[in-house]
Amino acid sequence: MTCGRPGFSPRSVTAVAAALVLLLAGALFSPFSDRAEARVHAVATTGMIADAVRAVGGDRVDVVGLMGPGVDPHLYRASQGDVRRLASADIIFYNGLSLEGRMEEILERMARQKPTVAVSESIPAALLLEPEGFAGQYDPHIWFDVALWKMAVERIRDGLIQVDPEGEAVYRANAEAYLAELDELDAYIRRKVAELPAQSRVLVTAHDAFGYFGRAYGIEVVGLQGISTDTEVGLRDIQNLVAFLIERRIRAVFVESSVPRRALEAVIQGAASRGHTVAIGGELFSDALGEPGTPEGTYAGMMRYNIDTIVAALK
Amino acid sequence: MDSYSATIVATGAVVAGACGFVGNFLVLRRMALLGDAISHSVLLGVVLAFLITGDRGIGPMFAGAAVFGLLTAVMVQALGRGGVAEDAAVGVTFTAFFALGVVLLTLYAGRVHLDLEHVLYGEIAYVPWDTIEVGGISLGPRALWTMGAVFLLNLAAVGLFYKEFKICSFDPEMAAALGIPVAFFHYVLMALVSLTTVAAFESVGAVLAVAMLIAPGATAYLLTHRLGWMLGLSVVCGAASAVLGYGMAAWLDVSISGAMAAAAGLLFALALLFSPSQGVVVKRLRRRRVGLRKEDVLQ
Repeated sequence: MTCGRPGFSPRSVTAVAAALVLLLAGALFSPFSDRAEARVHAVATTGMIADAVRAVGGDRVDVVGLMGPGVDPHLYRASQGDVRRLASADIIFYNGLSLEGRMEEILERMARQKPTVAVSESIPAALLLEPEGFAGQYDPHIWFDVALWKMAVERIRDGLIQVDPEGEAVYRANAEAYLAELDELDAYIRRKVAELPAQSRVLVTAHDAFGYFGRAYGIEVVGLQGISTDTEVGLRDIQNLVAFLIERRIRAVFVESSVPRRALEAVIQGAASRGHTVAIGGELFSDALGEPGTPEGTYAGMMRYNIDTIVAALK
Repeated sequence: MDSYSATIVATGAVVAGACGFVGNFLVLRRMALLGDAISHSVLLGVVLAFLITGDRGIGPMFAGAAVFGLLTAVMVQALGRGGVAEDAAVGVTFTAFFALGVVLLTLYAGRVHLDLEHVLYGEIAYVPWDTIEVGGISLGPRALWTMGAVFLLNLAAVGLFYKEFKICSFDPEMAAALGIPVAFFHYVLMALVSLTTVAAFESVGAVLAVAMLIAPGATAYLLTHRLGWMLGLSVVCGAASAVLGYGMAAWLDVSISGAMAAAAGLLFALALLFSPSQGVVVKRLRRRRVGLRKEDVLQ
C-alpha cells in the first residue's frame, strides 16, 4: 500500500461537513404533527389492540397501530415516524407480558409523561399460562382466548375514560357493544369446535402461540418450537412430531402468517416417508392481523378465519 | 428540531464517535469483523447469565455479554498466536460461542423468551424516553451518559498511551524491541472494544454498533494514513453518519439505526470514489492528466 501524503486539507473536510449539516437541517425541521385537534390520539402496538381501541373509541379517538399486517412483534423495529407517533400520542396501549420485548421497559418509563397501558395488566395472574419451571415468564398471546381479551377491552375502555372523561358515556356504550360482539365470537368458535369429533381436536403449528386458544376451546395444541421465535427447531422435535401425527392419525398441520413454514414442511415430508399423508391445513394468523379492508383485518374476523380454517382442515 | 430528534441524533453521534474511535485500531489490525463476532458470541454470555441468575434483567445480561465479548477477543488472540490465521480465528471463535449458546438455549431455556433482541439489544428510537432520574429530576437519556462515558474512557486510554498504541498497531515487532508490553496493550484495546461494543449494543442495537465500529474507521483510512488525523476523521465521519442517517430516516419513515448505518456506508462509498489520495475517480483523472502530459511531451 502506498503511503503517499494525502492531498486533502482540513479546510475541505470542514466544508464538506458543513454542507452535509446544512443539507440535513431542512429534513429535520419537518412539520411536527398535522392531525386534527380535540380528539384523543391513541397509539397501539399490535393490530389486535388497535382494532379494539378503534371499536371502543369510535369517532372520538384517532388510532395508529405501529405493527402492520404480518409483522412479528418480536421482530418489530420502530421507524422514525413511529417515534414521532409515540411522542405525540395522548395514550399508548400495548400488550405487555414481554410481547413487545424491551420496548415495554420504555413504555413503562413513558408512563411518567403520559398514560401507557398494558392491556394484559387487568388479567389475574391465575388465568395466565406460565411455562413450566420459569415462574413469572407468562405466555403473552392472550388475545387467543376471547374471555381474556374481553378483560383487555375493558382495560382499554378505562384507559380512554381516564384521558377523555367527557367521552365516558360514549366509551361505555361502544365497549358494551363490542363486548357483546366478542361474546358472539366466543360462541361461534365453540360451535365450530363442537363440529369436530373429540379425537380430532388437535392443532399442530410451528410456534407456540395458541396455548390460550387450546385451553379456552378444548383443543390440544402441539407446537414445534418453543415460545421464542429465535429458538432453533431440534431434530428430535421433528421426529417426535412425526410419530405423534402418525399415532393420532392427524391429517393437517398449520403454518402461521408471521413464522416461516420451513420447519413444518420437514415434518410433512417426514410423515410422508412413513406412509402417512399430512396436508398443510392453511395459514393461521398468530401475532398480527390481515391486511386492512379484508375480513381478517379485524380481530373478530381474524379469529373467525382461524377457527374456520382449522375446522375445515381437520374435519 | 424537536427535543427527541436532537437526543437521538446526539446519541447516534456519540455512539459513532465511541465505536469509530476504537474501530480505527481494528481496521488497522485487520480485525474489523471482531465487532460482528462479538455480536454473536455474547449470546452464550447472556444465556449463561440467565441460567445462573434466573433473571432476564439488564444487569446480569450486560455482565454476561461483556465477559464473553472480552473472551471472544482473548480467544481470537490466543488462536492467532497458535498459528491460526486471524480471520479464521475470528470465524471459529464466534461460531463456536454462538452455537454453544443456541444449544444451551434449546436445552434449558427453550420455553422462555430469551433472545438477544429482547434482553440485550437496545433501540435508538427509544433513547429519548429512557432517562436517568435522580430525586425526581431527569438528568437526560441513559444511553447518552453511558456512551459518553465510554467515549471519554476510550479517548483517555488512547490519549495517555497514544505512542504505544500507535507503534503496537503498525509494527508490533518494533514495539517489542522498544520494550513496550505489546500483549498488555493488545488486551487493553480488546477490553475497550468489548466494553464499547456491548455498551453500544445495549444502548442502540447491534446493527448500528457493528456498522460504526468499522465504517468510520475504514472511511478515514481512505482519506489519510496518519493515525492522529484518522482518529479525528473517523469521529467526524461517524457523527456525520448519525446526522445524515436521521435525516434519511425522517424522510423515508424507516428504522433510524438502519438509516444511520446506511449513511455510514454511503460516506464510505463517497470516500472510495472521491478521496483525494486514493479515490477511484481521482486516480483515473490523475492518470488521464499524466497521459495528456505524455502526449504533450511527444509532440
